[in-house]
Amino acid sequence: MSAERREPTASGSGKATEPREANGHREIVAGRGRKIRWTLGLLRPYRTRIFFMVLAVLVSTGAALAPPYLAGRAIDAGIQTGDISALNLSIALFVIAVIVNAVTSWLQTWLVGWVGIRVLQDLREQVFKHIQRMSIGFFNRNRPGALISRMTNDIEALNQLISDGIVTLFANLLTLFGVVAIMLLLDWRLALVTFAVLPLLLVTSLVFRKYSAGAFRETRERIALITAHLQETLSGVRVVRSFGQEDRHIDHMTELNEANRQANMATVYLNASYFPATELLTAVGTSAILLFGGWQAIEGNIMIGVVVSFVGYLQLFFDPIQQLSQLYATYQQGMAALDKIFTLLDTEAEIVDGPEAIDPPRLEGRITFDDLSFTYEDPEVEAESGEPVRPAPAEPRWAVRDIDFEIAPGETVALVGSTGAGKSTLAKLITRFHDPQEGRIMIDGRPLPDYRQRPLRSQMGIVPQEGFLFSGSIAENIAFGRPDASLEEIAAAADAVGASPFIERLSDGLETEVGERGVQLSSGQRQLVAFARVILAEPRILILDEATSAVDTRTEKVIERALDEVLKGRTAVVIAHRLSTIRRADRIIVLERGHIAETGSHDELIESGGLYAGLYSSWTDSSAG
Amino acid sequence: MPTFRRLLGFLRPHRRLLWGSMVFAWMAMGMTVLIPWLVGQAVNAVQDSDQTQLFWMVGAILVAAVLRLVLTVIRRIVAGRVSLAVEFDLRQEVYAHLMSLELGFFDRNQTGQLMSRATVDLQSIRFFLGYGLIFFSQSILTVLLAGVVMFVINPWLALIALAPAPLIVITALRYTRQSRPAMQEVAQRVAELTAQAEESVAGIRVVKAFAREDHQFERFQGAVDRLFDQSIRSTRIQAFFTPLIGALPQIGTALVLLVGGHEVLNGSLDLGQFTAFYTYMLMLAGPLRTVGMALGMGQRAIAAGNRLFEVLDREPRLTSRPDAIPLPEGGGAVSFDSVSLRYGPEAPEALLDIDLDVPAGSRLALVGPSGSGKTSLAALIARLYDPTEGEVSIDGTDLRDLEIPSLRHGIAYVSDDSFLFSDTIANNISYARADATPGEIERAARLAQASEFIEALPDGYETVVGERGLTLSGGQRQRVAIARALLANPRILILDDATSSLDATTEQQIRAGLAEAMAGRTTFVIGHRLSTISLADECVLMDEGRIIDRGTIAELTDRSSLFRELTGGSGDEPLFVPEDEEVLA
Repeated sequence: MSAERREPTASGSGKATEPREANGHREIVAGRGRKIRWTLGLLRPYRTRIFFMVLAVLVSTGAALAPPYLAGRAIDAGIQTGDISALNLSIALFVIAVIVNAVTSWLQTWLVGWVGIRVLQDLREQVFKHIQRMSIGFFNRNRPGALISRMTNDIEALNQLISDGIVTLFANLLTLFGVVAIMLLLDWRLALVTFAVLPLLLVTSLVFRKYSAGAFRETRERIALITAHLQETLSGVRVVRSFGQEDRHIDHMTELNEANRQANMATVYLNASYFPATELLTAVGTSAILLFGGWQAIEGNIMIGVVVSFVGYLQLFFDPIQQLSQLYATYQQGMAALDKIFTLLDTEAEIVDGPEAIDPPRLEGRITFDDLSFTYEDPEVEAESGEPVRPAPAEPRWAVRDIDFEIAPGETVALVGSTGAGKSTLAKLITRFHDPQEGRIMIDGRPLPDYRQRPLRSQMGIVPQEGFLFSGSIAENIAFGRPDASLEEIAAAADAVGASPFIERLSDGLETEVGERGVQLSSGQRQLVAFARVILAEPRILILDEATSAVDTRTEKVIERALDEVLKGRTAVVIAHRLSTIRRADRIIVLERGHIAETGSHDELIESGGLYAGLYSSWTDSSAG
Repeated sequence: MPTFRRLLGFLRPHRRLLWGSMVFAWMAMGMTVLIPWLVGQAVNAVQDSDQTQLFWMVGAILVAAVLRLVLTVIRRIVAGRVSLAVEFDLRQEVYAHLMSLELGFFDRNQTGQLMSRATVDLQSIRFFLGYGLIFFSQSILTVLLAGVVMFVINPWLALIALAPAPLIVITALRYTRQSRPAMQEVAQRVAELTAQAEESVAGIRVVKAFAREDHQFERFQGAVDRLFDQSIRSTRIQAFFTPLIGALPQIGTALVLLVGGHEVLNGSLDLGQFTAFYTYMLMLAGPLRTVGMALGMGQRAIAAGNRLFEVLDREPRLTSRPDAIPLPEGGGAVSFDSVSLRYGPEAPEALLDIDLDVPAGSRLALVGPSGSGKTSLAALIARLYDPTEGEVSIDGTDLRDLEIPSLRHGIAYVSDDSFLFSDTIANNISYARADATPGEIERAARLAQASEFIEALPDGYETVVGERGLTLSGGQRQRVAIARALLANPRILILDDATSSLDATTEQQIRAGLAEAMAGRTTFVIGHRLSTISLADECVLMDEGRIIDRGTIAELTDRSSLFRELTGGSGDEPLFVPEDEEVLA
C-alpha cells in the first residue's frame, strides 16, 4: 500500500504528536496524555450522540437523587404539618422523577452502548488494516495469537473502559457529589457524621478490588487449563484409546479440577468478607444517623423527615463507591490493552512503496539476481520487534549469499537443496516479502523497489505448499486472485488442472463450502484448487512450493498433469521435492548453505557427479531397498 | 421436572451443608427485615422525644447488623463450598464418562460441543444449585417476612405496596430469558470475527501474493458489522429492561407514600409504621428482582442439565465382559474370522467378510486405494471399534473376552496424523510407559531417528511441544510418535502411514531402527511407497473393504495391475522434504 494512503493511525487527532523517526521505539509506550487525546479522537465522529449521552447521564443521575428527598418532603411538609396538597405535590414530583429517571436511563444505556460498540468496531478495522499493511517479516516475528488478540481481547478490554468506564466515572461521581451536596444543604452537622463512614468504605472497597482482581484472574486461568486439557484429550482421543491411558488423564483432570476449586474458593472467601462488611458499614452509618439525628430532633434542631431522608441517602452512597473501585481495575486493564494496541499501530511497515514507484507493464518475466545476499538477523529488524538493539555482529549468518544468476522469460527453474539451504528464502525475496541487505533482484531489468508492490504481485502467482484455502466456496477460492472472473472462467480453470472430476462429485459442485482453511478437502484436493486459483490469475511469473505430503498415486498423477498446465508459457521458480518435478525443469539450481553449489539440467548434473548426483544415488538406493 | 429432580440429586451428598447454609441465609434475612422495623421504632422514639428508647433501638440495630455479618459470612462460605463441590463432582463424572465412551461416539460428536458440556453447561448448573436455590429461598423468605410484617402493621397498605411485586418478578424473568440468548449470540459472533482474523493472519502470505488485502478487509468488515448489529440488539434489551426493573419498585414506593401519607393524616397509621413501610419498600426491590433472575437461572440450569444428561446417559458401547481375562501369553498371532464392519446403521460397509490369519512375529503390509479399509482393519486389531459381524482374535482369544487396558497395552498404533500432547518430548515418548528411564526414552528416540533433532532443540528432551509449545514439522512429529510406540514395547505394532512425511533419506535411516524394533513382534504396515511396504514380508491388497490378493511384493507386482498402480511404477517419491516452516503459507 502506498505511503500517501497511510491513515493517521495512533497520532492523536490527526496531527503527529512526537517525532518518532529517530530512535523509533523508545517513545512508543505513549504517555497518558497522548492516550487520552487519542481516545477522544476516536470519539470525535460521534460527538452529537455523545452530547445527548452526557445530557441523559446528567438528567438521569439528577432524577435518581430526587426520590429520597421528596419522600422526606412528603413527611415533613405534608404529613407532619397536615398539609395534604404539599403531600400530594411531593408524591407527584416523586413519580415524575421516577419516570424521568427511567426514560433517561434507557436513553443513556442505549447511547452509551451504541457509541462504545461503534468506536470499537472502528478501532478493530483500523488495527486490521494496519496489520495487513505490515511486511511479511513482521508476521515472522509476531505470533499469530498475539496479533489476533489485538483485534479481539484487547479491544474488548478497551470496550470495558470506554463504554462502561466513562459512564461509570461520570454518573457515579455525579451521584456521589450530588448526595454530598444535598446532605450538606439539608443539615451539615448530620452530613459530617454520615461522612465519617465513607473512608472506611472506600478503603475496604479498594483493598477488596486489589485482591479480587488477582483471584478472579486466577479462576479464569484455571478454567482455561481445564478447557485446554479437554480440548487436547478429546481431539487426541484416538491416541489416548490406543495406548489405554484413560486413567492417567482422569487423574490429571482431577488435579486441574481441584486447582480450579481452590482458586474459586479464594474468591468465595473474598466475597464472603467484603459484601457482608459493607452491609455492616451501612448499618453502622444508619445507627450514627439515628443516634445523632434523633438526639438533634429531640432537641428540636432538626426535622424528623430530614433524619429519614438521610437514612435513604446513605443507601445511595454505597453503589457509587463500589463501582468506582471496580472502575480502577477496568482502567488498569484498558490502559494495558491500549499500550499493546499503540505499540502495534506505531510499528511501521518495513517495505513501503517509494513515491517514484511505478505500476509494472505486462511483464516479460526475466528475473535477475545481482550479487544478492540476505540475512534474517537484521539489527534494524530486531529493534523493530522491541528487543534491545545489539551491536551488529561482525559477520551475520547469511541465509543466502552472493547469488548471481538470471532466469530467462518462460524458463522453469527448480530450486533444490536440503533443509536450510536457502530455497524458500530466494522465493520470498522474488515476491519482495523481504528486501535483501546486499545486491538486488531485477525483473525485466528494473530493480524490485521500482515497482509498486501490489500491482507487481498481482502479476506473480504463488502456490504455497499446503494449498492454503480460505473459508468460502471452491469457486470463491479459485477466483481469489481475480474476483471478477465469470463462472465459466472458473470452471475452465478447474478443468485445466484436472480438478473438475472431484469437484463435480461434491454435493454442491463449485459452490461447495471448503470449511475453515479448506479442512473439508483432502490435501491433494486443496493443491488442485490452489493450482486452479493460480491459473485463473494468469500470472507472468510463477513461484511454486511443491507439496511433500503423501497423496495416493492416482491423485499424484492428476497433480503432475496439472503442474504441466500451470508451468506452460510463463517464467517459473519451483521449490522442488519430487524427482518428476525436478526433471521437468529446464534448469536445476542446487543450493547448499545459502550458496549456489551447481546448476544444470538433470542429466548434466548426474554427469558431473557433484552434490546432486550424490543425493540422487542415495535416493535410488533407498527406493530399491 | 425429571431433569430438575436429577439435578437436585447432585446436592444430596452435601445436603447437610446446604440446609445449614439455607438456615443461615434465612436467619440473616430475618436480621435484614428486622433492621427497618427497628429504624421505624427509633424514629417513633425520636418523635416521642424518648431518648432511652432511641438508644435501645440504635443498640438493637447494631447488634442485628453484627449478627447479620456473622451469619452472612458463614452462609457465603458454606454455599460457595457446596457449589464448587457440585461442579467438581459433575466434572469428574462427565470426564470419566467421556473417557469410557467408545471411539465411534467421538466420530459423531464435535469436540467443541462436548467441551462446552464440561465447562459452560456445568457452570450454569453450579450457579443455580449453589447460589440460585439459596438466593431464591432467601428472597422468597424476605418477601414473605416483609409481607407478613407489613400485613400486620396495615393489611390494606401492604396490599397496595406489594401490588407491583408480581410485575417485577415477571419483568426480571423476561429480562433474564431474553438477554441470555442475545449475549450468547454476541459471543458466537465474536468467535466468528476471531476466526476471520485468524484466517487473515494465517493466510497473509497468500493474501499478499494475490494482492487481495482489500477483499480480506471487506470480509473482516462484514464480520465486524454482524457483531455490531447483534451487540446493539443486546444493548437494546438491556436499555429497555434495566430502567424498567429499577422504576417498578419505585411506583410501589410512591403508592405507599400517597396512601400511607393520607392514612397518617387520618390518624390510622403512626409515623413510625409509615417509615417502616417506606424502608421495606426500599428493601424489597432487590429480592423481588432476584426471584425473577433465579427463575431464569433455573431454566438455564435445566437446559444445561438436559444436554449434560444426554451425554451421561449414553451407555459405553464398547466394554469388557465381567469375566474378561487379561491378554494371555503369546507371540501376537492375529486372526480375522468373517469380519464385517459398518460405522453406523446407515453407513456403507467399511470392511466386508475379512478372513485373515497373521502368524505371530510376521510382518504384513496393507496396501489399497484410499477408502479401501486398511485403517479400519488396523483399528479393529486395537479394538478401537467392534466388528459388526465376525470375530477378531489375538493369540486365539476373541478380543471381546479380553480386558481392554490389558489388550491396548499389548498393541501400539502409530497413525498418520501423529498427535502429540502439549508436554515435553520425553513425556510424549514415555506416554504409554510413564515409568520409562531417560535411557530407555533416548534409545527409543534413536531407533526412530528422532534423537538428532531432539538434541538440537533448545531444551532437548524437556522441550514442550504441541498446541501450547514448539511446533514440530510433520516429519519430526511422526518420528516422535514412532518412538512413543517403540517404547511401549508392544506385542503388536501397527504403522498406519507412519512415515508419510519423511524424506527418502530419513526413511532409509529409520528402516534400520524399525527393523530392529520389529523383531519378535507382529507388525502391520500401511502405506503406498514401495520403500515403506518393503519393510514387510508379505502384502495384503485391499479394495472396497475386501481383501483381493495376498502375496510378496514381487508376486503382487507381477500379477496385479492395481498393486502396480498403487505402489507407483514411476517411483516418484520426495527427494527432499523441508523440515523448517512452510515456505509460503
